[in-house]
Amino acid sequence: MSLVAGPGRGGLGDGQFSQNPKLCVDKHVAYIQSLDQRRDELDYWLTEHLRVSGIYWGLTALHLLGHPDALPRDDLLKYIISCFCDDGGFGAAPGHDSHMLYTLSAVQVLVTLDALEEFEQQIPRGKDKIGRFIADLQNRESGTFAGDRWGEEDTRFMFAGLLALSLLHLKHLVDIDKCVQYVKSCQNFDGAYGVSPGAESHSARVYTCVGTLALAGRLDAADTDALAGWLSERQLPNGGLNGRPEKLEDVCYSWWVLSSMAMIGRLHWIDKDRLTSFIFQCQDPENGGIADRPGDMVDVFHTHFGLAGLSLLGQPGLAEVDPTYCMPKQVVERVLNG
Amino acid sequence: MGLYSESPDWADIEPIPQDEGGPNPLAAIHYSEEYSEAMGYLRAVMARNEMSSRALALTEDIIDMNPAHYTIWLYRAEILFAIKADLHQELEWLNETALAHQKNYQIWNHRQTVVDRVGSPAGEAEFIARMFEKDAKNYHVWSYRQWLVRRFDLWEKGELEDVELLLKHDIRNNSAWNHRWFIVFGRDDSAVAGDVIQREMDYAKDAIRLAPQNQSPWNYLKGVTRRAGNPMSSLKDFASEFASIERPNEVRSSYALDLLAEIYSQESDGKLDAAVALDLLAKHYDPIRANYWNYRKALLEQPATAA
Ligand SMILES: [Zn+2]
Repeated sequence: MSLVAGPGRGGLGDGQFSQNPKLCVDKHVAYIQSLDQRRDELDYWLTEHLRVSGIYWGLTALHLLGHPDALPRDDLLKYIISCFCDDGGFGAAPGHDSHMLYTLSAVQVLVTLDALEEFEQQIPRGKDKIGRFIADLQNRESGTFAGDRWGEEDTRFMFAGLLALSLLHLKHLVDIDKCVQYVKSCQNFDGAYGVSPGAESHSARVYTCVGTLALAGRLDAADTDALAGWLSERQLPNGGLNGRPEKLEDVCYSWWVLSSMAMIGRLHWIDKDRLTSFIFQCQDPENGGIADRPGDMVDVFHTHFGLAGLSLLGQPGLAEVDPTYCMPKQVVERVLNG
Repeated sequence: MGLYSESPDWADIEPIPQDEGGPNPLAAIHYSEEYSEAMGYLRAVMARNEMSSRALALTEDIIDMNPAHYTIWLYRAEILFAIKADLHQELEWLNETALAHQKNYQIWNHRQTVVDRVGSPAGEAEFIARMFEKDAKNYHVWSYRQWLVRRFDLWEKGELEDVELLLKHDIRNNSAWNHRWFIVFGRDDSAVAGDVIQREMDYAKDAIRLAPQNQSPWNYLKGVTRRAGNPMSSLKDFASEFASIERPNEVRSSYALDLLAEIYSQESDGKLDAAVALDLLAKHYDPIRANYWNYRKALLEQPATAA
């Protein structure tokens, strides 16, 4: 899956489109399918360090669009397995070092493809190896996680680790109470969360912290009304959402903000119609794909998060997304109940 | 034909071609030759875990082309320490690289590793100031700055003065407000002296008077009030400078109205006034969040709890 941006830009269709926007399902499917055919562009290779996540974004978007089989399953599976490292983690591409973020993306793809058994056939006890890789990255004192063997810590890595373990039914390998303590220590005076204790509140970090609480079954530890009040203040008059006060709106925050509000039961504090029309305006109605804001280049990252946001808003024609796992609800239910 | 293939320094290395886990004929043709060649040599030296100055130079070349390649930063740090490279030179190179790639975050983790090893924050404040000239809200830079404060105990080494300069420049810089909180209240959980509380209240109030519709100092003011253990009602007179339900057309700050609603709701006979304030917010001053204000209004019907 390529992360090459463009070729199209959001919102640059004919004049009529902006007056009467609609969700361009078929265009988005074609756009995602076209991504892997763009290996002749330098950007394809410059974004190699994100490739596995790119596959997750594209595949999940296709599921939400109701075209789960639009990419060749065997090729995806083969590629994901080729990113598996001896230490039990996954790199972003073959030959890249293991990293928590790509390990999560790889697990999400394996689960979405319902391919965990095939994975284990090729990598004996593969699930246990992944579980140990993740558990070893937990700082047993503070509870948080590093992203790789170099030790950079970030609430993203904690959430990613817990999420992957949950999908593998291996949460017991880590100290979940410590995770909850750590999330609490990241709470700021405005009720929201930053990347580490003391760091500025930021919507994307809020998602990782609330997601951690959700996976720990401890949403009661959040200051729900203050947090949701702060999140709802992220909506700007043009309908879009920003990441922190006095910053620009961006489609991907539709996901970070909405998912967090959905998890704490306050999704309805967002003006759905205005946000929906903002996301619609970020679509390229001719070539498909969604940009961060109208007029910018589309890419698969914002296509995925834009569609996932629309799904949470109840957009007709999209499959339901799970606000914690950011995967099709149907898939999450299959793996958690299965 | 390439930078590396023709260099005697690299004659002993057989570059390892890209393996994408499947055939991809197009790649071989169009993949930018310069980057492709350098990556081939990188894979080869990483495979033999070579710690050398030529490998260090190679990582620099590739980072210049693509700083987001996370694996290469780890390898670079290993080489630096293994060959005992000049870390000050490394920081100088990092300065330019960070300024050229504002959004990159691997660079900050690397900088942290290097500065930690150097053991001194000398020069870091100047470099951060240069970064802030380009973007005074860069999240990675602020996180790094907090790390510096903790690592080198810089709490009282000009941080507050610097925050004030940044806020003088842009009173809406939420990152600077957050850093102010971090410096004043983030050191430990012990009680903050009364005169410091007063100073912080005054600072936030002055900022609000400059720009009443600015969310950051309102959050700060409420945060200080809570931290000091004072009731919100202690801010009633101040909030009334910017909003009054008696003069609904002259509201200068929706945040003041929001705060007044909160204060009214805690008064024994304030429910009606609170409802008026919340209605004003839902209908006139912040209609995009009507559902939130209506929720707050519905809470008024419930038996009183400490909100
Ligand atoms: Zn974005």
